[in-house]
Amino acid sequence: MLRLTCKEWVHVPNQEERPESLYEGFQKKLTAMAGECVRVRKAADIAAFLIPFFQENKIRTAGLVESPLTRAGRLLERLREAGIEMTTDNLRQAAPSVGAGITQLKWGIAELGTLVQIGTDVDQRLLAMLPPLHVALVQTSELVPTLAEALKLIHSLPQIPGFVGFITGPSRTADIERVLTIGVHGPGRFLAVFVDEDVREGE
Amino acid sequence: MADKEFKGKIEQALDNSTLRGALGRFGEFYEKAREQVYEGYDFQTLRDQVAEVKSYAASHLDEMLDQFERAATARGAKVFRAETGEDANRYISELALKHKVKSIVKSKSMASEEIHLNDALAAKGMDVQETDLGEWILQLCHQTPSHMVMPALHMTKEQVADVFTDHLGRINDPDIAALVKTARSELRSKFLEADMGISGANMAIAETGTLMVVTNEGNARLTATLPRIHVFLVGVEKMVPKFEDAGCILQTLPRNATAQAITSYVTMVTGPTPVYMPDGTIQDKELHIVLMDNGRRKMYADDKFKKTFQCIRCASCLNVCPAYQLVGGHVYGHIYTGGIGTILTAFLNEEKFAENPQNLCLQCGKCAEICPGRLDIPEMILELRTRFAEKKGLPFTQKFALDIVANRRLFHSLLRVASLAQKPLTKGQPVIRHLPMFLSGLTEKRSLPAIAPVPFRDIFKDIPQNVKDVKGTVAFYAGCLVDFVYPKIGEGVIAVLNDKGYKVVFAEGQSCCGAPAVYMGDKPNAKKSAMLNIEALKAESVDYVVSACPTCTHALKDSYPALLAGDPAWEERAAVLSRKALDFSKLLANLGGLPEGGDGRPLKVTYHDSCHLKRKMGVYLEPRAHLSRTAGIELVEMNESDHCCGFAGSYSIKFPQISAPILEKKIKNIEATGADVVAVDCPGCLMQISGGLDQVNSPIKVKHTAEILLEKRGD
Repeated sequence: MLRLTCKEWVHVPNQEERPESLYEGFQKKLTAMAGECVRVRKAADIAAFLIPFFQENKIRTAGLVESPLTRAGRLLERLREAGIEMTTDNLRQAAPSVGAGITQLKWGIAELGTLVQIGTDVDQRLLAMLPPLHVALVQTSELVPTLAEALKLIHSLPQIPGFVGFITGPSRTADIERVLTIGVHGPGRFLAVFVDEDVREGE
Repeated sequence: MADKEFKGKIEQALDNSTLRGALGRFGEFYEKAREQVYEGYDFQTLRDQVAEVKSYAASHLDEMLDQFERAATARGAKVFRAETGEDANRYISELALKHKVKSIVKSKSMASEEIHLNDALAAKGMDVQETDLGEWILQLCHQTPSHMVMPALHMTKEQVADVFTDHLGRINDPDIAALVKTARSELRSKFLEADMGISGANMAIAETGTLMVVTNEGNARLTATLPRIHVFLVGVEKMVPKFEDAGCILQTLPRNATAQAITSYVTMVTGPTPVYMPDGTIQDKELHIVLMDNGRRKMYADDKFKKTFQCIRCASCLNVCPAYQLVGGHVYGHIYTGGIGTILTAFLNEEKFAENPQNLCLQCGKCAEICPGRLDIPEMILELRTRFAEKKGLPFTQKFALDIVANRRLFHSLLRVASLAQKPLTKGQPVIRHLPMFLSGLTEKRSLPAIAPVPFRDIFKDIPQNVKDVKGTVAFYAGCLVDFVYPKIGEGVIAVLNDKGYKVVFAEGQSCCGAPAVYMGDKPNAKKSAMLNIEALKAESVDYVVSACPTCTHALKDSYPALLAGDPAWEERAAVLSRKALDFSKLLANLGGLPEGGDGRPLKVTYHDSCHLKRKMGVYLEPRAHLSRTAGIELVEMNESDHCCGFAGSYSIKFPQISAPILEKKIKNIEATGADVVAVDCPGCLMQISGGLDQVNSPIKVKHTAEILLEKRGD
């Protein structure tokens, strides 16, 4: 399986930024759980990173649910322009057969390498569950240090969302002879893309 | 007492090399991996939180259930309270019929297995599909889980491949990645077709009406997202008061269950969410929550079993259980396996089904040490054992033996006679290597010690106690093994205490501490022993009572007050004895320990922790300190030094076939250290381990710490 090679888009750490050590902690934990992690500066960099990534991994189709980050980075258009066949509606039909699902998730928990999915939207959920690769976009500024803080944040919403998912790496099982095997019911690859630029549009 | 059929199942499990291999490898991996994954976390604080959160919910159960129901209903869920399993089955079947459900996907729910929900639904003509990989494999080959978290732990990839081949009508190779892929595609189509999803939950948050599910495979997420009807089947013990309370459970459940910091997924469902309907429209699904009792309240109402509501079903009590590690889950006979399973079976299935498996517990306490809910499972199992014994009586031979032990004069004179009668068996050696006929199991993997020619009680009179500057008096409680088999240990204790300025007295009237009766569930004889020893030891007239056997010390300290609670004639005396009773190494440490000293001759020593000393009294640093301060001794740690040696009192007689492989592993760990001597603080462990070493002709000696101190420091 191809791993990340597009180093030029990966953010170079800058000591003054607040979430720096949080990001590093997060990355360590997520990679330990067989997840992949990358950090870019601008929303526009998401496409610049994903296009060669998809090409390298021979991913030609993807499903996408629009969100502040995808809009700010014109992700849908740019992936289409790059020749990726993109689906955004009737995802119950499409999600099982696309090569990747792209969704924005709400928070990251540095302590565990976990991303928090507010999944009230059914399409967003399906894209995070059914395709073999889940690309999760998240704002670097939405990293919180601990599980306890994340629970507090969820609870501080007007109401607990109907579906909240913690995702930490790809789907896994050890049910046969306790051998760790990746990708049973959910995605076999999980890629977290952190975006430093703050995009608050439409929230 | 375990019956013949049960013993047959144990033999079968022990003969299953696949099972033994899988369980053994897991056991070895688990303990260290769990420790690593808790690095940087204070497990004691976390488990305190879990115990607090869960016990609060349990003691306010009606309030919690009402609050949960209100919150969940306000969000659009339908809540049904099922008093029994039949109620739950009926509700779910009728719901499925009403909505013309044809196919159902299930994510893992032990509660549904408890009530045979699949059978109930299949009887109505519905296709029910387990989707947890392990559960699916078992469903296909009609087996029950052998572990609560890893249900198919007992199967090899070859067996799984055969099951798939049979089911799918095409050859499946025993390649794990390929098998998982096959399961993914087979079950994927089931997910997409299903009209109904059924899930279990790990937590039900009363405050918000939220259900939380912890999984790795992602099947619970799909179950909660694809079908148009979703049913949660939740035991009432799953209640958690506040949303944030989930934190401590999320921190401990994956760590204790599979040594993961967190599972791949945690799914939180609060009220119905939109789904795709068969016609392609997006609408809110139907969400039903069945809150099931089925014997749980009865368990809570029973004072001795209240704490079962603090269980978070991590199954770590199975993972560290020496008996489970050998025999696996199927011998337990029902859905719930291992230590906690035995207790759950008694209340949630039928009490009689727990009668055989409760015997498997060695009382080593390893599970209680790591339980995130602070359940004392061994104590609860002992309570079950006592109740069975009270209800049905012990078998004649056991009862007869315990009656003799409780009669000091008879017991002691029999031991003296035995010392002479054993001569043909010992063949002039200090051990018995072979016993004839049905007793041969006892000497299969270990030799038994011969009874000493002169018991300690007779030797004691001739020990000169030259104590200058007497600081106080200590009553020595010898216990059967020191008194009649290893009197040398007693001599060591006296020498060391004299050295510390204490005179030692020995009460002739003392006898067996009653532990055998306690562990076999014979309360009347245990009480008899308690009174006899309290009377003999007269703790009121000495500064301390010391014993060199942690099992005896535990009896004096903890069992006697419990046995005699509420008895005005004895309660106070038991309390005084409990306060003054200490194990040898602990007392020595309390008296300031030993100065540097010793003969300086090199001796490589490894230390074996006795279960009762480490886990009932928290003493494990003290004996190591005494040994390390003795010139010449080099202390080396063995792997798994605090794992049970397999003696466990009468256990080695009840289940020699389980006790023997536990001992074998201990012997291997000892041999790997290259030590000359194994130091122990328990004469029971001493007997077991030296018996095992003798059978493999090992030159390694086993000695009690007191004995070693006497040899290395005695003038």
